[in-house]
Amino acid sequence: MLSAIWAIPAAGGLLVLAAAGRWPAKRLALAVAVCVFALSLALPWAAGPEGLSSLAQAGPLWAYGIRYSVGLDGLSLVLVWLTAFLTVVSLLSAWKQELSAGFWASFLFLEAACLGVFLVRDLFFFYIFWEAVLVPMFFIIGLWGSENRRHAAMKFFLFTFFGSVFLLLGILALVTMHHSATGLWTWDMAVLRGPSSGRAAVVVFLALVVGFGVKIPLFPLHTWLPDAHTEAPAAGSIMLAGVLLKLGVYGLLRVALPAFPEVSWSLLPWLGLIAAINMIYGALCSMAQGDLKRLVAYSSVAHLGFCVMGILSRTPEGLAGGSLQLLNHGLSTGALFLLVGCLYERGHKRGLSDFGGLFAKAPWFTFFFGVAVFASIGLPGLNGFVGEFMSLAGMARVLPILAIAGVVGVTLAAGYALPAYQAVFWADPGPGSVSAKVTELDWREKSLMWTLTLLMLWIGLFPGTLLSLLDSSLRGLLL
Amino acid sequence: MAQFLAQTSLSGLAPELALAALVCATLMAGLPASGRRYWKLIGPLGALCAFALALTTVPAVEAPGLIRVDGLSIGWQLLIFLAAVPFALLLRGEDEVPTALMLGSLLGMGLLASAGNLLMLFIGLEFMSLPAYLLVARGARRAPAREAAMKYFFAGGTGGSLFLFGLALYYAAGRTLAFSASTGPMAEAGLALMGVGALFKVGAFPFHFWLPDVYESADPELAGFLSTSMKAAAVLLLMRVAALSPHSGFVRCLPWVGGVTALFGALLALRQQRLQRLLAYSSISHAGNVILGVGAWAALGAVPGEASSIYYYLAAYLFMSNGAFLFLRQTGLRERCEVTGLSRRDAPGALLFAVLLLALGGIPPTAGFLAKLLIFWEAIKAAAYGPVILAGAAALASLGYYLGLVRQMYLDEPLPAQAAAPARPGDRFGSIILAACAAPAAVLGLAPWLIGVFSRLLSP
Repeated sequence: MLSAIWAIPAAGGLLVLAAAGRWPAKRLALAVAVCVFALSLALPWAAGPEGLSSLAQAGPLWAYGIRYSVGLDGLSLVLVWLTAFLTVVSLLSAWKQELSAGFWASFLFLEAACLGVFLVRDLFFFYIFWEAVLVPMFFIIGLWGSENRRHAAMKFFLFTFFGSVFLLLGILALVTMHHSATGLWTWDMAVLRGPSSGRAAVVVFLALVVGFGVKIPLFPLHTWLPDAHTEAPAAGSIMLAGVLLKLGVYGLLRVALPAFPEVSWSLLPWLGLIAAINMIYGALCSMAQGDLKRLVAYSSVAHLGFCVMGILSRTPEGLAGGSLQLLNHGLSTGALFLLVGCLYERGHKRGLSDFGGLFAKAPWFTFFFGVAVFASIGLPGLNGFVGEFMSLAGMARVLPILAIAGVVGVTLAAGYALPAYQAVFWADPGPGSVSAKVTELDWREKSLMWTLTLLMLWIGLFPGTLLSLLDSSLRGLLL
Repeated sequence: MAQFLAQTSLSGLAPELALAALVCATLMAGLPASGRRYWKLIGPLGALCAFALALTTVPAVEAPGLIRVDGLSIGWQLLIFLAAVPFALLLRGEDEVPTALMLGSLLGMGLLASAGNLLMLFIGLEFMSLPAYLLVARGARRAPAREAAMKYFFAGGTGGSLFLFGLALYYAAGRTLAFSASTGPMAEAGLALMGVGALFKVGAFPFHFWLPDVYESADPELAGFLSTSMKAAAVLLLMRVAALSPHSGFVRCLPWVGGVTALFGALLALRQQRLQRLLAYSSISHAGNVILGVGAWAALGAVPGEASSIYYYLAAYLFMSNGAFLFLRQTGLRERCEVTGLSRRDAPGALLFAVLLLALGGIPPTAGFLAKLLIFWEAIKAAAYGPVILAGAAALASLGYYLGLVRQMYLDEPLPAQAAAPARPGDRFGSIILAACAAPAAVLGLAPWLIGVFSRLLSP
């Protein structure tokens, strides 16, 4: 059952490629994506009363403890939902464009790889899926992105592969350390433990952090992100921001922190500092951008800082809030990239000064953009507030000074998001404005945005269900 | 004499005997001018026949001392003979000479693999190298091929003489030619010289200088043969030398030699504008990884069954390298700029090449990925952290050209002149072999259970 969740989109991608020219690729791809989303929603029912863990499966032992195994808990489930949902959203966001079958198939391959990362419980296969994410994304950016796409695609691949080398060496060292301590070869994430102290443990933990940190992205490993997000097609940006960045935090939660609980605790001030830099530096960079897409990209750097800060605190509220923030960021930034994509599709410009006064022409556009902006700032009542508040509350109990830095970050968020919103929708259009070309959202875009808006509202008002799901799966990380 | 014969069944030498018979038969009979296509099958049949015979060989000690067939011999023979098949199938030339040379070289490799003492090792080494010089010299582009053959001959000869000199010193120290450990400065020096001889053959930095010229000027399929069969045999030579005394100074340096070679090859490949030369430097880089693996393997005690990661690497490289060189043969591409926009002119070819490049770069789930993972893992087990970081940096740098080529083929716009040039259709036969190399390269990374199989193969 769980393997089917990633196998169906992979097979679907092959089918889309094979049937190119005969069947309409995009309808087929959408059908597969919707099917996967429906299946992912059905997972809790499939699990039945015994809980999600009853879905776990393991294959035969191969060699040196390598064994294909999949499992599910609250954290994985939430991220699987996010991935499956955002794939549907991003496919629909590109619906009107005439694109070859390769485009649609790439998204299915990307979905399969991301779902694989969230589902497997064996580090060997985790790494395979982790790397497999890069290839479809490379082509999505490089083939269907905007002007500077080739450079951005290479940069994306090489930067993330740089992290992957650290990750691979870290994983191998972890497996070897575990073997020399226990005499047991295993690649099982739930079992692997590194030494609790010592220089080797610190080095290996840091290698893992660098590996995951490139994807998150942690300062100063973030420089690939603005280029990749900006040059990717809108649908690709949604997946990049919505899902790919989550892989890094997921890796921290699933691999690095459980394997090195003590080391990560002793390094908390430094890692927390990096998370704080992420928030403030990301926000400041975002303020300085004149390109809407770049602005949203830098805001992702800031938002992921909250996630990392929350989970580093290792308090119940911090862990649950930080991981809920993963979902929140996926929804609100996904929505922002979707809307910026709509703007670009209409006006072929992305600059803040290229628009203005859109409220009069497109009230729905304005409304939805406003919701996404406020969710992203963390307005109470919308989803972002819950996650950010809980992350900071968690950190406040451990290292209050970092929580204060986080509050500064929240304030700065208003400083970049609101002026941008104002410039595009409320200010008078400037001389070279392309506002005249911008039309109201059509029913397809509106229904996508309604879904996203309702989800953001739901999480903002009733976060209990998701929080208890996440909380139950993260208890092992509590101090 | 009677006793000698009674002890000797020579069954362990079956592949070599078959090859020797075929070489003699080919040379004596010549290939009849008529019905050439039929006779061209002798080469591939010989390689496959040797492969099959090696498969049925059981470990044994033959002709006391001279021949010793162990797990490594059998495993490496399989690898070497299989790697020669694409080259054998595509042999150029109208006469019997290339066939005989190729089979003769394989015979030398087989002897090297099942050598039971140091002298046989040397004989095997020379036997496999001499035909290779001639094969290079017979390349399609005459002038550069001859020049490359001369370089190859002198470099190979230097390697061979260093090995022989080291052998003499080692013999002087221990008074034996058997694979046994000796101590003392003279034995250390002898071991180091033999090791350097082997490193010459593998093409390790700083003994790599001949390799780019040779691989670039040889016919592409011959370069594939040299980079797989020949290199695998040279690696086995290095392993035999390293296993003599796993804790000697020379062997302790091996991981560093490997790491530096990997990085050096990758960095030099970055700037290459000619594809075959690029692949040659990439082959240096891959050899570096293998040497790192050999060093780690020796440091961990040089147990034959534990060599499965080296073996896996060579097996994966067999498909990747042969495939990549075959692609050059099929498309006739020489310059790097010629691949720009290839996906639009020759979609299947570009796809195959992209798969091979990603495999060479070590992207999951390709064979190259698992190969690198196993080698890095072996090095970490042996606590060779510095070299493994160098190798990791090499893996990253190598993506600059592997992925750069994929980018050129898929993302970049072709120049108008290139877009107009029709893709040169390769012969269908070669394309099938190319696809047969690319397919395992693409998926073998998903087969970690092969490690167990290899491990059993190497220590029966």
